[in-house]
Amino acid sequence: MALETALETGYGFWDPLVWILAVAIAAAVAYLIWRAGEEGYKRGTAQTEAFLSGNVQPEKGAIHVRAGNLYWGFLEALAQYYRRTVPVHTGVLNDYVLWFLGITALIIVIIGLMP
Amino acid sequence: MKSLRSFKKSLWVYHFNSGSCNGCEIEIVAAITPRYDPERFGIRLVGSPRHADVMLVTGPVTRKMEPRLRRVYAQMPDPKMVVVVGVCGSSGSPFYESYNLVGPVDQVIPVDVYVPGCPPRPEGILYGVVKAVEKLEQLEGKA
Ligand code: SF4
Repeated sequence: MALETALETGYGFWDPLVWILAVAIAAAVAYLIWRAGEEGYKRGTAQTEAFLSGNVQPEKGAIHVRAGNLYWGFLEALAQYYRRTVPVHTGVLNDYVLWFLGITALIIVIIGLMP
Repeated sequence: MKSLRSFKKSLWVYHFNSGSCNGCEIEIVAAITPRYDPERFGIRLVGSPRHADVMLVTGPVTRKMEPRLRRVYAQMPDPKMVVVVGVCGSSGSPFYESYNLVGPVDQVIPVDVYVPGCPPRPEGILYGVVKAVEKLEQLEGKA
């Protein structure tokens, strides 16, 4: 049964009072779960570090799956291609300009030779 | 000293082997069998020091295990108790003065209860844990 404050949408209803009640119940449940937690922890100490059988916790980057890991299969499949092209990407602008001029010259020659 | 009538929650115990011969481990396992059944009091072994109130340490502390023992102890929430099970952890026992030992457990972390024996009987281990509970209750009563 919809309340007085409810807005009928044709597919159901939207009622801010029901919404507030649901949020309040969810917050109360979350608070109860939080309260049942361990109070003895001290923030910023080893007590909040992950337990890895007594070993040192590695850097976050060393244990998390990085975005680059998602391309692993792609890179493996095209490994031959990347083995040749990656060293060519030197990051030096002069190299890129030389490549550009060389390829442009090649295209002009090919076009010039065409009947 | 004010003392609580009972510990406020189930007592969870973490076991740390700092270089034991495994004799003490067998007795700890014997202590949690249905014959003694400490779980009826809520006392159980847990897999992480971050959930534990008491740590049972067995064996003398070897060089490899020393930093790990320190780290695991630091990871336990307060208030915490350490029970040394067996004479190895209490004094070094037959391995006393070995080149590869840092020393008995109390040279590395603070110890609250010592359970003597090589290995101690399960009754002794449970008695040690009960002593630790008493100390925890006193600590909590003071807080
Ligand atoms: S006290 Fe005895 S049983 Fe326990 S670890 Fe030492 S040698 Fe082994």
